[in-house]
Amino acid sequence: MIPGLVHILLWQGVGEMVSHFILPHIPGPVIGLVLLLGFLALRGPVPDSMALVSDAFSQHLGLLFVPAATGVILFLPQLQQHAWAVVFALFSSVILTIAVTAAALKLTSPEGNSE
Amino acid sequence: MNKSLPIHEIWVYLSGSPLLALILTLTAYQIGYVLYMRSQRNPIVNPVAIAVVIVAVCLQLLDMPYTKYFEGAQFVHFLLGTATVSLAVPIYRGLSGLKGRVVPLLLALVAGGLTSIFSAVGIAHWLGADQAIVGAMVSKSVTAPIAMGVAERLGYSPTLTAVFAVVTGILGAILARFVLDGLGMKAWWQRGFAIGVAAHGIGTSRAFSVHPEAGTYSSLAMGLHGILGAVAIPMLAGYIPTF
Repeated sequence: MIPGLVHILLWQGVGEMVSHFILPHIPGPVIGLVLLLGFLALRGPVPDSMALVSDAFSQHLGLLFVPAATGVILFLPQLQQHAWAVVFALFSSVILTIAVTAAALKLTSPEGNSE
Repeated sequence: MNKSLPIHEIWVYLSGSPLLALILTLTAYQIGYVLYMRSQRNPIVNPVAIAVVIVAVCLQLLDMPYTKYFEGAQFVHFLLGTATVSLAVPIYRGLSGLKGRVVPLLLALVAGGLTSIFSAVGIAHWLGADQAIVGAMVSKSVTAPIAMGVAERLGYSPTLTAVFAVVTGILGAILARFVLDGLGMKAWWQRGFAIGVAAHGIGTSRAFSVHPEAGTYSSLAMGLHGILGAVAIPMLAGYIPTF
Protein backbone atom coordinates (compact mmCIF):
# COMPACT_ATOMS: atom_id res chain seq x y z
CA MET A 1 0.00 0.00 0.00
CA ILE A 2 2.82 2.43 0.85
CA PRO A 3 4.50 2.38 -2.61
CA GLY A 4 1.13 3.17 -4.18
CA LEU A 5 0.51 6.05 -1.78
CA VAL A 6 3.98 7.47 -2.37
CA HIS A 7 3.44 7.24 -6.12
CA ILE A 8 0.10 9.07 -5.90
CA LEU A 9 1.49 11.75 -3.55
CA LEU A 10 4.39 12.38 -5.93
CA TRP A 11 2.00 12.95 -8.85
CA GLN A 12 -0.04 15.24 -6.62
CA GLY A 13 3.15 17.20 -5.89
CA VAL A 14 4.03 17.47 -9.57
CA GLY A 15 0.44 18.54 -10.31
CA GLU A 16 0.56 21.25 -7.64
CA MET A 17 3.79 22.61 -9.10
CA VAL A 18 2.47 22.63 -12.67
CA SER A 19 -0.68 24.36 -11.41
CA HIS A 20 1.34 26.94 -9.52
CA PHE A 21 3.79 27.81 -12.27
CA ILE A 22 2.11 26.98 -15.60
CA LEU A 23 -1.67 26.42 -15.40
CA PRO A 24 -2.98 28.50 -12.48
CA HIS A 25 -6.66 28.09 -13.36
CA ILE A 26 -6.64 24.28 -13.04
CA PRO A 27 -6.43 22.76 -9.53
CA GLY A 28 -3.15 20.90 -8.89
CA PRO A 29 -4.74 17.54 -8.02
CA VAL A 30 -6.61 17.47 -11.36
CA ILE A 31 -3.32 18.02 -13.21
CA GLY A 32 -1.82 15.23 -11.07
CA LEU A 33 -4.75 13.01 -12.08
CA VAL A 34 -4.21 13.64 -15.79
CA LEU A 35 -0.44 13.09 -15.49
CA LEU A 36 -0.97 9.82 -13.59
CA LEU A 37 -3.48 8.74 -16.23
CA GLY A 38 -0.87 9.45 -18.92
CA PHE A 39 1.71 7.50 -16.95
CA LEU A 40 -0.65 4.51 -16.63
CA ALA A 41 -1.47 4.65 -20.33
CA LEU A 42 2.25 4.45 -21.16
CA ARG A 43 3.34 2.03 -18.48
CA GLY A 44 0.57 -0.55 -18.55
CA PRO A 45 -1.46 -2.03 -15.76
CA VAL A 46 -2.18 -0.41 -12.41
CA PRO A 47 0.29 -1.60 -9.72
CA ASP A 48 -1.44 -3.60 -6.95
CA SER A 49 -0.39 -1.21 -4.21
CA MET A 50 -1.82 1.74 -6.13
CA ALA A 51 -5.08 -0.11 -6.81
CA LEU A 52 -5.36 -0.73 -3.07
CA VAL A 53 -5.01 2.98 -2.22
CA SER A 54 -7.30 4.08 -5.02
CA ASP A 55 -10.04 1.59 -4.11
CA ALA A 56 -9.90 2.67 -0.45
CA PHE A 57 -10.27 6.31 -1.49
CA SER A 58 -13.09 5.54 -3.94
CA GLN A 59 -15.02 3.56 -1.37
CA HIS A 60 -14.82 6.25 1.31
CA LEU A 61 -14.50 9.40 -0.78
CA GLY A 62 -17.49 10.79 1.13
CA LEU A 63 -15.59 10.84 4.43
CA LEU A 64 -13.14 13.35 3.00
CA PHE A 65 -15.74 16.05 2.36
CA VAL A 66 -17.46 15.81 5.73
CA PRO A 67 -15.29 18.61 7.25
CA ALA A 68 -16.04 21.03 4.41
CA ALA A 69 -19.70 20.06 4.02
CA THR A 70 -20.29 20.62 7.75
CA GLY A 71 -19.60 24.28 6.99
CA VAL A 72 -23.20 24.33 5.77
CA ILE A 73 -24.11 25.38 9.33
CA LEU A 74 -22.65 28.80 8.52
CA PHE A 75 -25.01 29.14 5.54
CA LEU A 76 -28.24 27.90 7.13
CA PRO A 77 -30.05 31.27 7.27
CA GLN A 78 -29.16 31.99 3.63
CA LEU A 79 -30.24 28.52 2.53
CA GLN A 80 -33.51 28.76 4.44
CA GLN A 81 -34.27 32.05 2.78
CA HIS A 82 -33.76 30.55 -0.68
CA ALA A 83 -34.78 26.97 0.16
CA TRP A 84 -37.34 26.72 -2.60
CA ALA A 85 -34.95 27.94 -5.30
CA VAL A 86 -32.19 25.60 -4.13
CA VAL A 87 -34.37 22.50 -3.93
CA PHE A 88 -36.10 23.15 -7.24
CA ALA A 89 -32.84 23.96 -9.07
CA LEU A 90 -31.01 20.86 -7.79
CA PHE A 91 -33.98 18.60 -8.40
CA SER A 92 -34.69 19.71 -11.98
CA SER A 93 -31.05 20.02 -12.91
CA VAL A 94 -30.18 16.44 -11.97
CA ILE A 95 -33.20 15.05 -13.85
CA LEU A 96 -32.38 17.13 -16.95
CA THR A 97 -28.69 16.16 -16.80
CA ILE A 98 -29.45 12.43 -16.65
CA ALA A 99 -32.05 12.74 -19.42
CA VAL A 100 -29.84 14.80 -21.77
CA THR A 101 -26.79 12.56 -21.26
CA ALA A 102 -28.85 9.42 -21.83
CA ALA A 103 -30.58 10.84 -24.90
CA ALA A 104 -27.25 11.96 -26.37
CA LEU A 105 -25.83 8.46 -25.91
CA LYS A 106 -28.88 6.85 -27.46
CA LEU A 107 -28.78 9.13 -30.49
CA THR A 108 -25.04 8.95 -31.17
CA SER A 109 -24.22 5.29 -30.43
CA PRO A 110 -23.75 3.21 -33.57
CA GLU A 111 -25.13 0.19 -31.73
CA GLY A 112 -28.15 2.22 -30.56
CA ASN A 113 -29.72 1.27 -27.30
CA SER A 114 -29.12 -2.48 -27.30
CA GLU A 115 -27.05 -4.24 -24.65
CA MET B 1 -17.41 22.31 41.79
CA ASN B 2 -14.09 20.77 42.67
CA LYS B 3 -15.24 17.33 41.56
CA SER B 4 -15.95 18.49 38.02
CA LEU B 5 -12.52 20.03 37.65
CA PRO B 6 -10.58 16.98 36.36
CA ILE B 7 -13.16 16.35 33.67
CA HIS B 8 -13.07 19.99 32.78
CA GLU B 9 -9.29 19.84 32.47
CA ILE B 10 -9.41 16.79 30.24
CA TRP B 11 -11.96 18.62 28.15
CA VAL B 12 -9.79 21.69 27.75
CA TYR B 13 -6.87 19.46 26.80
CA LEU B 14 -8.87 17.50 24.22
CA SER B 15 -10.59 20.43 22.59
CA GLY B 16 -7.23 22.10 22.04
CA SER B 17 -5.87 19.27 19.89
CA PRO B 18 -6.94 18.04 16.44
CA LEU B 19 -7.85 14.71 18.02
CA LEU B 20 -11.36 15.74 19.04
CA ALA B 21 -12.30 16.98 15.58
CA LEU B 22 -10.84 13.85 14.00
CA ILE B 23 -12.66 11.50 16.39
CA LEU B 24 -15.89 13.41 15.78
CA THR B 25 -15.52 13.31 11.98
CA LEU B 26 -14.56 9.64 11.74
CA THR B 27 -17.10 8.42 14.30
CA ALA B 28 -19.92 10.36 12.63
CA TYR B 29 -18.95 8.94 9.24
CA GLN B 30 -18.64 5.44 10.68
CA ILE B 31 -22.19 5.68 12.08
CA GLY B 32 -23.44 6.94 8.71
CA TYR B 33 -21.62 4.18 6.85
CA VAL B 34 -22.98 1.40 9.11
CA LEU B 35 -26.52 2.71 8.62
CA TYR B 36 -25.94 2.91 4.85
CA MET B 37 -24.78 -0.73 4.73
CA ARG B 38 -27.69 -1.87 6.92
CA SER B 39 -30.13 -0.20 4.53
CA GLN B 40 -28.65 -2.26 1.65
CA ARG B 41 -27.03 0.84 0.19
CA ASN B 42 -30.23 2.80 -0.08
CA PRO B 43 -29.20 6.21 -1.50
CA ILE B 44 -31.55 8.05 0.87
CA VAL B 45 -29.45 6.79 3.80
CA ASN B 46 -26.39 8.73 2.65
CA PRO B 47 -23.36 8.39 4.97
CA VAL B 48 -22.07 11.92 4.25
CA ALA B 49 -25.42 13.57 4.96
CA ILE B 50 -25.77 11.61 8.20
CA ALA B 51 -22.20 12.45 9.25
CA VAL B 52 -22.71 16.17 8.55
CA VAL B 53 -25.87 16.24 10.67
CA ILE B 54 -24.16 14.39 13.55
CA VAL B 55 -21.09 16.65 13.47
CA ALA B 56 -23.25 19.78 13.23
CA VAL B 57 -25.36 18.74 16.22
CA CYS B 58 -22.24 17.85 18.26
CA LEU B 59 -20.64 21.23 17.49
CA GLN B 60 -23.83 22.91 18.67
CA LEU B 61 -23.92 20.86 21.89
CA LEU B 62 -20.20 21.33 22.61
CA ASP B 63 -20.45 25.02 21.76
CA MET B 64 -17.48 24.60 19.45
CA PRO B 65 -17.11 27.13 16.61
CA TYR B 66 -16.89 25.67 13.10
CA THR B 67 -13.48 27.23 12.42
CA LYS B 68 -12.08 25.51 15.50
CA TYR B 69 -13.50 22.18 14.36
CA PHE B 70 -12.06 22.64 10.87
CA GLU B 71 -8.60 23.33 12.29
CA GLY B 72 -8.53 19.73 13.50
CA ALA B 73 -10.54 18.16 10.71
CA GLN B 74 -8.36 19.68 8.00
CA PHE B 75 -6.18 16.59 8.15
CA VAL B 76 -9.07 14.63 6.65
CA HIS B 77 -9.87 17.51 4.30
CA PHE B 78 -6.31 17.55 2.97
CA LEU B 79 -6.67 14.02 1.60
CA LEU B 80 -9.24 15.29 -0.94
CA GLY B 81 -6.40 16.23 -3.27
CA THR B 82 -4.76 12.84 -2.97
CA ALA B 83 -8.12 11.13 -3.56
CA THR B 84 -8.58 13.26 -6.68
CA VAL B 85 -5.25 12.12 -8.13
CA SER B 86 -6.15 8.49 -7.40
CA LEU B 87 -9.29 8.85 -9.56
CA ALA B 88 -6.87 8.18 -12.45
CA VAL B 89 -7.12 4.47 -11.58
CA PRO B 90 -10.88 3.98 -12.18
CA ILE B 91 -10.68 6.19 -15.30
CA TYR B 92 -7.82 4.06 -16.64
CA ARG B 93 -9.78 0.88 -15.94
CA GLY B 94 -12.90 2.29 -17.61
CA LEU B 95 -10.97 3.46 -20.68
CA SER B 96 -9.50 0.03 -21.34
CA GLY B 97 -12.83 -1.57 -22.35
CA LEU B 98 -14.33 1.15 -24.50
CA LYS B 99 -14.44 -0.42 -27.97
CA GLY B 100 -15.95 2.13 -30.40
CA ARG B 101 -17.79 4.12 -27.81
CA VAL B 102 -15.41 7.06 -27.35
CA VAL B 103 -17.22 9.57 -29.57
CA PRO B 104 -20.75 9.01 -28.20
CA LEU B 105 -19.42 9.06 -24.65
CA LEU B 106 -17.58 12.36 -25.13
CA LEU B 107 -20.55 13.98 -26.87
CA ALA B 108 -22.89 12.83 -24.12
CA LEU B 109 -20.45 14.06 -21.47
CA VAL B 110 -20.28 17.55 -22.96
CA ALA B 111 -24.06 17.70 -23.46
CA GLY B 112 -24.71 16.49 -19.91
CA GLY B 113 -22.08 18.76 -18.38
CA LEU B 114 -23.48 21.87 -20.06
CA THR B 115 -27.03 20.89 -19.09
CA SER B 116 -26.03 20.46 -15.45
CA ILE B 117 -24.49 23.93 -15.29
CA PHE B 118 -27.03 25.96 -17.22
CA SER B 119 -30.16 24.29 -15.84
CA ALA B 120 -29.06 24.68 -12.21
CA VAL B 121 -27.71 28.22 -12.58
CA GLY B 122 -30.66 29.30 -14.70
CA ILE B 123 -33.36 27.93 -12.41
CA ALA B 124 -31.70 29.11 -9.18
CA HIS B 125 -31.24 32.59 -10.62
CA TRP B 126 -34.76 32.69 -12.03
CA LEU B 127 -36.18 31.79 -8.60
CA GLY B 128 -34.24 34.63 -7.03
CA ALA B 129 -31.39 32.86 -5.22
CA ASP B 130 -28.51 35.15 -4.27
CA GLN B 131 -25.15 35.08 -5.99
CA ALA B 132 -23.35 32.87 -3.47
CA ILE B 133 -25.92 30.15 -4.03
CA VAL B 134 -26.04 30.53 -7.82
CA GLY B 135 -22.23 30.43 -7.99
CA ALA B 136 -22.09 27.26 -5.93
CA MET B 137 -24.51 25.62 -8.40
CA VAL B 138 -21.99 25.85 -11.24
CA SER B 139 -19.85 22.81 -10.48
CA LYS B 140 -22.29 20.76 -8.42
CA SER B 141 -22.44 17.83 -10.86
CA VAL B 142 -18.66 17.47 -10.78
CA THR B 143 -17.28 15.10 -8.15
CA ALA B 144 -17.04 17.03 -4.86
CA PRO B 145 -13.23 17.11 -4.39
CA ILE B 146 -12.75 18.65 -7.85
CA ALA B 147 -15.90 20.79 -7.65
CA MET B 148 -14.59 22.42 -4.47
CA GLY B 149 -11.22 23.17 -6.06
CA VAL B 150 -12.93 24.74 -9.08
CA ALA B 151 -15.32 26.79 -6.92
CA GLU B 152 -12.46 28.06 -4.77
CA ARG B 153 -10.57 29.31 -7.81
CA LEU B 154 -13.65 31.06 -9.19
CA GLY B 155 -14.33 32.75 -5.85
CA TYR B 156 -17.44 30.75 -4.91
CA SER B 157 -18.03 28.99 -1.65
CA PRO B 158 -16.42 25.52 -1.65
CA THR B 159 -18.67 24.61 1.28
CA LEU B 160 -21.95 25.34 -0.52
CA THR B 161 -20.55 23.61 -3.61
CA ALA B 162 -19.79 20.48 -1.57
CA VAL B 163 -23.27 20.54 -0.05
CA PHE B 164 -24.97 20.96 -3.44
CA ALA B 165 -22.75 18.23 -4.89
CA VAL B 166 -23.77 15.80 -2.14
CA VAL B 167 -27.48 16.64 -2.49
CA THR B 168 -27.20 16.29 -6.29
CA GLY B 169 -25.54 12.90 -5.86
CA ILE B 170 -28.28 11.69 -3.53
CA LEU B 171 -31.08 12.97 -5.79
CA GLY B 172 -29.43 11.50 -8.88
CA ALA B 173 -28.94 8.12 -7.25
CA ILE B 174 -32.60 8.02 -6.25
CA LEU B 175 -34.18 9.45 -9.41
CA ALA B 176 -31.94 8.02 -12.16
CA ARG B 177 -33.88 4.76 -12.39
CA PHE B 178 -37.16 6.50 -13.12
CA VAL B 179 -35.69 8.94 -15.64
CA LEU B 180 -33.81 6.18 -17.50
CA ASP B 181 -36.79 3.82 -17.50
CA GLY B 182 -38.96 6.67 -18.74
CA LEU B 183 -36.60 7.21 -21.68
CA GLY B 184 -36.51 3.48 -22.41
CA MET B 185 -32.75 3.18 -21.83
CA LYS B 186 -31.77 -0.49 -21.78
CA ALA B 187 -27.99 -0.74 -22.23
CA TRP B 188 -26.22 -0.88 -18.85
CA TRP B 189 -23.23 1.09 -20.09
CA GLN B 190 -25.47 3.95 -21.21
CA ARG B 191 -27.46 3.94 -17.97
CA GLY B 192 -24.27 3.89 -15.90
CA PHE B 193 -22.63 6.70 -17.87
CA ALA B 194 -25.69 8.95 -17.55
CA ILE B 195 -25.76 8.43 -13.77
CA GLY B 196 -22.02 9.14 -13.47
CA VAL B 197 -22.22 12.41 -15.43
CA ALA B 198 -25.11 13.73 -13.32
CA ALA B 199 -24.51 12.25 -9.88
CA HIS B 200 -20.72 11.56 -9.62
CA GLY B 201 -19.54 9.37 -6.70
CA ILE B 202 -22.88 8.79 -4.98
CA GLY B 203 -24.48 7.84 -8.28
CA THR B 204 -21.52 5.58 -9.05
CA SER B 205 -21.90 3.75 -5.76
CA ARG B 206 -25.56 3.22 -6.67
CA ALA B 207 -24.68 2.08 -10.20
CA PHE B 208 -22.20 -0.51 -8.89
CA SER B 209 -24.85 -1.96 -6.60
CA VAL B 210 -27.20 -2.42 -9.58
CA HIS B 211 -24.84 -3.77 -12.28
CA PRO B 212 -21.00 -3.96 -12.57
CA GLU B 213 -20.94 -2.62 -16.15
CA ALA B 214 -23.11 0.34 -15.12
CA GLY B 215 -20.71 0.96 -12.21
CA THR B 216 -17.59 0.93 -14.38
CA TYR B 217 -19.10 3.36 -16.89
CA SER B 218 -20.45 5.54 -14.10
CA SER B 219 -17.02 5.90 -12.50
CA LEU B 220 -15.54 6.62 -15.93
CA ALA B 221 -18.16 9.34 -16.42
CA MET B 222 -17.45 10.78 -12.98
CA GLY B 223 -13.71 10.93 -13.67
CA LEU B 224 -14.04 12.42 -17.16
CA HIS B 225 -16.60 14.95 -15.95
CA GLY B 226 -14.14 15.91 -13.20
CA ILE B 227 -11.35 16.58 -15.71
CA LEU B 228 -13.65 18.37 -18.16
CA GLY B 229 -15.18 20.46 -15.38
CA ALA B 230 -11.80 21.54 -14.02
CA VAL B 231 -10.59 22.57 -17.47
CA ALA B 232 -13.77 23.98 -19.03
CA ILE B 233 -15.71 25.61 -16.18
CA PRO B 234 -13.13 28.38 -15.57
CA MET B 235 -13.14 29.11 -19.32
CA LEU B 236 -16.95 29.04 -19.48
CA ALA B 237 -17.37 31.20 -16.39
CA GLY B 238 -17.51 34.38 -18.44
CA TYR B 239 -20.42 33.05 -20.50
CA ILE B 240 -22.54 31.76 -17.63
CA PRO B 241 -25.26 34.35 -16.96
CA THR B 242 -25.47 36.16 -13.62
CA PHE B 243 -21.74 36.28 -13.18
